[in-house]
Amino acid sequence: MTLENDLKHALRRQAPAPGFAERVMQQIENQPEELRGTPRYPRNPVWWRAAAASVTLAAILGGYATHRVVEHRRGERAKEQVLTAMRIAGEKVRYAQQEVRGIGTAD
Amino acid sequence: MRKFILSLALIIVAVPASAQQIDLHFPELAEKADEVVDVTLDANMLRLAAKFLSGKDTDERAVREMIGGLDGIYVRSYEFSEAGQYDKNLINKIKSQLGPSWKPLVTVRSKTKDNVSIMADMHGDKVTGLVIIATEPREFTIVNISGPIDIDRLAELSGQFGIPEISKGRRHRDE
Repeated sequence: MTLENDLKHALRRQAPAPGFAERVMQQIENQPEELRGTPRYPRNPVWWRAAAASVTLAAILGGYATHRVVEHRRGERAKEQVLTAMRIAGEKVRYAQQEVRGIGTAD
Repeated sequence: MRKFILSLALIIVAVPASAQQIDLHFPELAEKADEVVDVTLDANMLRLAAKFLSGKDTDERAVREMIGGLDGIYVRSYEFSEAGQYDKNLINKIKSQLGPSWKPLVTVRSKTKDNVSIMADMHGDKVTGLVIIATEPREFTIVNISGPIDIDRLAELSGQFGIPEISKGRRHRDE
């Protein structure tokens, strides 16, 4: 129980000494500018926006270029497949036609 | 209720009228085959391919015109190292998938060369689909073209595009 009481005593709510806030503020003002904390955004927002726009544009153009390359490959592959399919189909149909014509001429 | 029956009837009529896609899934043949040609092109892929077919090249332009109205092209061709690797009932299995509008156009039976069956989906005078089954002792090929097709023009395409004819090469090896 002694420990509990000691803890309660140590962690009790306590008002700061008079003039604490003023002293803290005074110290902040006396600090050099670089130690006061840098802002989270650059000083010149125009450059920041331009950089963000450039990155976005590059991402869009890059994505579009990649899409074009992929689409081109798909298209070329589809074209090759069409030509292969048509060649096989044409070959078989022509063979059948020739056989039928052969029977016709044999008579 | 009447609307439901009408809708159901429309669906039943519409399904056979639409492009019929045949089940061409033969994993057992693909496993046995030495060479496999597998072409699956739906309408979207055909439109894409058409964009890449040259308008200046006569052959490619002809193909582009032919595939313009098609719904799909599906080819499965299997070449085996030995004869008798495929089940001959497969042909009947494929034919059994075809609806009543499908008519046999040509059947070639040969002991020395290809056996070819050509069946067309006929709607009046128009051919709106084509199935070609070609078999040799060591080869099994099926082509399904879905959509309106000019068979005479298709025959004219044979051996073009600067690609050597596969069958001639295969026959050489058979000899």
